[in-house]
Amino acid sequence: MLEGAEFYFNVDHGYLEGLVRGCKASLLTQQDYINLVQCETLEDVKIHLQTTDYGNFLANETNPLTVSKIDTEMRKKLCREFEYFRNHSLEPLSTFFTYMTCSYMIDNVILLMNGALQKKSVKEILVKCHPLGRFTEMEAVNIAETPSDLFNAVLVETPLAPFFQDCMSENTLDELNIELLRNKLYKSYLEAFYKFCKNHGDVTAEIMCPILEFEADRRAFIITLNSFGTELSKDDRETLYPTCGKLYPEGLRLLAQAEDFDQMRRVAEHYGVYKPLFEAVGDGDGDTRLVLIFYKHKVQMNVLAFNRQFHYGVFYAYAKLKEQEMRNIVWIAECISQRHRTKINSYIPIL
Amino acid sequence: MSGKDRIEIFPSRMAQTIMKARLKGAQTGRNLLKKKSDALTLRFRQILKKIIETKMLMGEVMREAAFSLAEAKFTAGDFSTTVIQNVNKAQVKIRAKKDNVAGVTLPVFEHYHEGTDSYELTGLARGGEQLAKLKRNYAKAVELLVELASLQSSFPGLNVPLLISSQSWMRGSEKSSIG
Repeated sequence: MLEGAEFYFNVDHGYLEGLVRGCKASLLTQQDYINLVQCETLEDVKIHLQTTDYGNFLANETNPLTVSKIDTEMRKKLCREFEYFRNHSLEPLSTFFTYMTCSYMIDNVILLMNGALQKKSVKEILVKCHPLGRFTEMEAVNIAETPSDLFNAVLVETPLAPFFQDCMSENTLDELNIELLRNKLYKSYLEAFYKFCKNHGDVTAEIMCPILEFEADRRAFIITLNSFGTELSKDDRETLYPTCGKLYPEGLRLLAQAEDFDQMRRVAEHYGVYKPLFEAVGDGDGDTRLVLIFYKHKVQMNVLAFNRQFHYGVFYAYAKLKEQEMRNIVWIAECISQRHRTKINSYIPIL
Repeated sequence: MSGKDRIEIFPSRMAQTIMKARLKGAQTGRNLLKKKSDALTLRFRQILKKIIETKMLMGEVMREAAFSLAEAKFTAGDFSTTVIQNVNKAQVKIRAKKDNVAGVTLPVFEHYHEGTDSYELTGLARGGEQLAKLKRNYAKAVELLVELASLQSSFPGLNVPLLISSQSWMRGSEKSSIG
């Protein structure tokens, strides 16, 4: 891609960029969140959401309104928008979109594999798959008996095939614990996505690469944190760390040796970006607050992506911000419906 | 002295001794019945008190557990299908034992853990700590449920013998007040 994307970008992608910026302007603001927090029942939440861009998305829902219905409808709306973008995109933006959907595909594939192994009906599992991660071979999953068969018959056609290559030992997938498989797939995916963005160069690389680096490092930290006290060995842990972040290679090596939260914090202090994040955690209840702080940082980076034009990062950022907004709304709705309002303000404000 | 409760007896010294022995036997029997009904009543009251306490605690624990589920969903996304898919053996099981109170056998349930946690690595990349908290909260809820079930199943087991023994005691005291 030549330098000077501003000359060429709008020819192919200008319409979609304009559209996504319009969608971004309709994300809920701090005022909307304040209104939602003051609601007493889920019906009030529905009424408030009608004044936002969500409009009458819950109009066809029968009583009683539950949090899961709200969640499903919001997700459907996001999918509709995303599919619209995807259908109107040209290369290389369409490859970018494919990369974005890979992460959902990974989750769906793990679900399908599990279900196929346990001989569950495919239809039930298909309902629970994430709609953004749909791929055409999904219904064909039940013909396979073992994971390796599944791979050779079905998954080889999907965009996920190269990620499986990295996880397979002697062409078999059987022995791997399903969670380890999920994390290994995600690691390969993240590294491939990073390489794609970097090769694309230009503003996209400038915006997406830091975001993906942070994602890789965040995963490394969280995996380390969650593996304290489990039977995951240090070597196994190291194979799950994505290598496309700032922590590679020394930080990852140090992290693999860490035994508790303080050692992890000391590793983070070597890196200028992560030192303030860990300092904000303070002492005591480190774990939960660390997760929330990471989310906040991610949201900030995604919002900053909109400050520049002519790059694909806006689409990625929009999808992630929309997801965070959905999580926020579901959190507030749960707090309201369970009448447990002490932590209702722990949502992550976006704009 | 009512007419129908009269025992026809030939008035002799031996008949008197025999009658005295019979009276003594009847009185001992009545005392034992009283002791039984007292023990049962005591146990009954204890169980009732415990049931009330457990039920109140149950409300709190369930609320806490449901909220931690919402928290876990906030950080870890929707893991419900993963959990449902991976169900195989039960980790918490119940043993039924028998407890004897004044001759009445009551069932008692106690829970025990078996096997390892098959969901140890779920949420490895996000939300692991919330999931651990969630598991703890629901484990507490399950233990309370087992206790409650144990108490509530011994409740009717106690109720009937208690009524019977107190009735018998009442009838016995009627007769002895006449005699």
